[in-house]
Amino acid sequence: MKSTQYSEKVLDHFRNPRNVGTLEGDNVVWGEVGNPVCGDLMKIYLKVEDDKIADIKFQTFGCGSAIATSSMITEMAKGKTLDEALKITRQDVADELEGLPPVKMHCSNLAADALQEAIKNYRDQKKGKVPLPVIQKTTRPVKELVGEKEFLGKGVYHDVDDFAPFTDKRVMVVDRGPKSLEIALELTKHTGRVIVVTPGKAFSSVDAGLAKGIKQSDIKIIYESEPLEVRGSDEVEKVLVHDLDEDEEYELFVDAIIILK
Amino acid sequence: MAMNVYLDYQSAKPVDPRVQEAMLPYFRERFGNPSSLHREGDEATKVLEGCRRTIADFINAEPDEIIFTSGATESNNLALIGYASRHKEKGNHIIISEVEHISLHNIAKYLEKDGFVVSKLPVDQYGRISVQKLVSRITPETILISIGYASNEIGTIQPIAEIGHVARERGIAFHSDGVAAEGLIPLDVQRDVIDLLTLSSNDIYGPQGLGVLYVRKGMRLNPLIIGGGQERGLRSGTENIAGIVGMSTAAEIMGQEMEEEVKRLAKYRDILIKDILERIPKTHLNGHPKDRLANNAHFRFEAIEGESLLLSLRDAGVSAATGSACSSKTLEPSHTLISTGLLHEEAHGSLEFTFGRFNEEADVDKVIEVLPPIVERLRKLSPLYQEEKSA
Repeated sequence: MKSTQYSEKVLDHFRNPRNVGTLEGDNVVWGEVGNPVCGDLMKIYLKVEDDKIADIKFQTFGCGSAIATSSMITEMAKGKTLDEALKITRQDVADELEGLPPVKMHCSNLAADALQEAIKNYRDQKKGKVPLPVIQKTTRPVKELVGEKEFLGKGVYHDVDDFAPFTDKRVMVVDRGPKSLEIALELTKHTGRVIVVTPGKAFSSVDAGLAKGIKQSDIKIIYESEPLEVRGSDEVEKVLVHDLDEDEEYELFVDAIIILK
Repeated sequence: MAMNVYLDYQSAKPVDPRVQEAMLPYFRERFGNPSSLHREGDEATKVLEGCRRTIADFINAEPDEIIFTSGATESNNLALIGYASRHKEKGNHIIISEVEHISLHNIAKYLEKDGFVVSKLPVDQYGRISVQKLVSRITPETILISIGYASNEIGTIQPIAEIGHVARERGIAFHSDGVAAEGLIPLDVQRDVIDLLTLSSNDIYGPQGLGVLYVRKGMRLNPLIIGGGQERGLRSGTENIAGIVGMSTAAEIMGQEMEEEVKRLAKYRDILIKDILERIPKTHLNGHPKDRLANNAHFRFEAIEGESLLLSLRDAGVSAATGSACSSKTLEPSHTLISTGLLHEEAHGSLEFTFGRFNEEADVDKVIEVLPPIVERLRKLSPLYQEEKSA
């Protein structure tokens, strides 16, 4: 079966998704799940009244079945008590949609997980558990990358005075404070591909003007990640990146990496 | 219902009606087997050798350098496995690039299991290899270099003649998969110094199920299919005369019409690229801005996913392709996009349009009309886009 051979019901929910959007106000929580392999992301918002789901909305970045399952679960959960809603499984969602292509059962059928996450968040809040602050101060020790020494001058830079060698190159800049971010911003005048890797959910420390400049630029920011290893044959070709949130490792092809000392 | 607009010519092409006409007699009246020693057989031999000459002319080769196969995948197998197994005494090192067609990556894996060492040349952000890097990877063990003429996905064209010279000067065989470039760039195995060249019939509007491997005189290969010794013993099996007549007719037509056709397709491509990049924010072009195939427009839209785009385009009557993991059999994103330096989530939002002989300017207008609202709708659903906007 092709991965995109969907039932009419899946297509209907994809074409006309129900309950799209966000919620705000009292008794509103949200749950979020991501698929680390492909980058799918689902967010489900709940408004809870008398232990029941009074309103529910979703936002999804993903394929047809990711959107359809999110839409379907909002219909299934609306009006249910939290205990009833917790019982909705991935299989239930798939069944309501008249089935999903087998390969999509796992990767794009995360809506039940997102709903459970939202309910858990709600109950944690009620118990008085304070959710983690959005901006975590990162105090990760600065480690040397595997291969950093070997490739020094062959794509690894500990300092930058001349930007010309970076013209049209793919450059990764490791967030090591404001100076590294200033370099990243300056690099955008010389190349279209600048990637900043930062271990936190936000930059380590930055003034508002610089942060705005970066957000408005074409810089690709990879949050909650750190580079582990520089790889290549005789020059830097790729960097092994560790996604701290999902605890996944992947290779990213670059031409240069700037690690300020 | 309005006609569907087909913009996925890289995956399959319709047979040109003139090709179909030329093939028809060979199913019933002219059915002979070239190996037979009677009138029907002699006639088939004559037709076969005429077609071989036509296809040789198409790439500036000699007729006896043309080996008919069942398609480009078989040609790639014969070139790499046939050459490597024949020459393993000479060396065990093969160089390909990161942006080769999936068949070559899998053939390379197969050869690695058989004791060969395969280096994969990295590419730049546009998908181009560096000749300097190629030279640095060559060792005394290197027997074969295989670099595709152009990427079937992002359309980037490689510096083929330069690679050919590097290989020739060092006595290394050079294979190129020419399928993506066929019919869009005039191929010339002398100018480009190619020893082994893969061609497909369908990619010049001939029938599917037929391909060619050009084998330069003096190149020795082991056959993969053993039988009655057809095709100089390199590819046994009774020749598919109707298919060969089809491919030969397709090559003849292409030889006459390519120049005009390429101009027309490049015009469509340029309008589409310019308009889409202007009209849709947070959109990027994948592949080389200049050195790209005349029919290829490959985009990347931030914060949305390619399969969703394809489903929506299908509803709007447009057929296109994506390198997103969600639409592949393995649920892996396109290796070509990843090797240009994109993250998985970025490859996720890719969309490929490839034009061909039967497109009209109105088809471009249709995409420009339907695509912006589709992107807008999907972005409204996406939590990533909202975050970006609020940031």
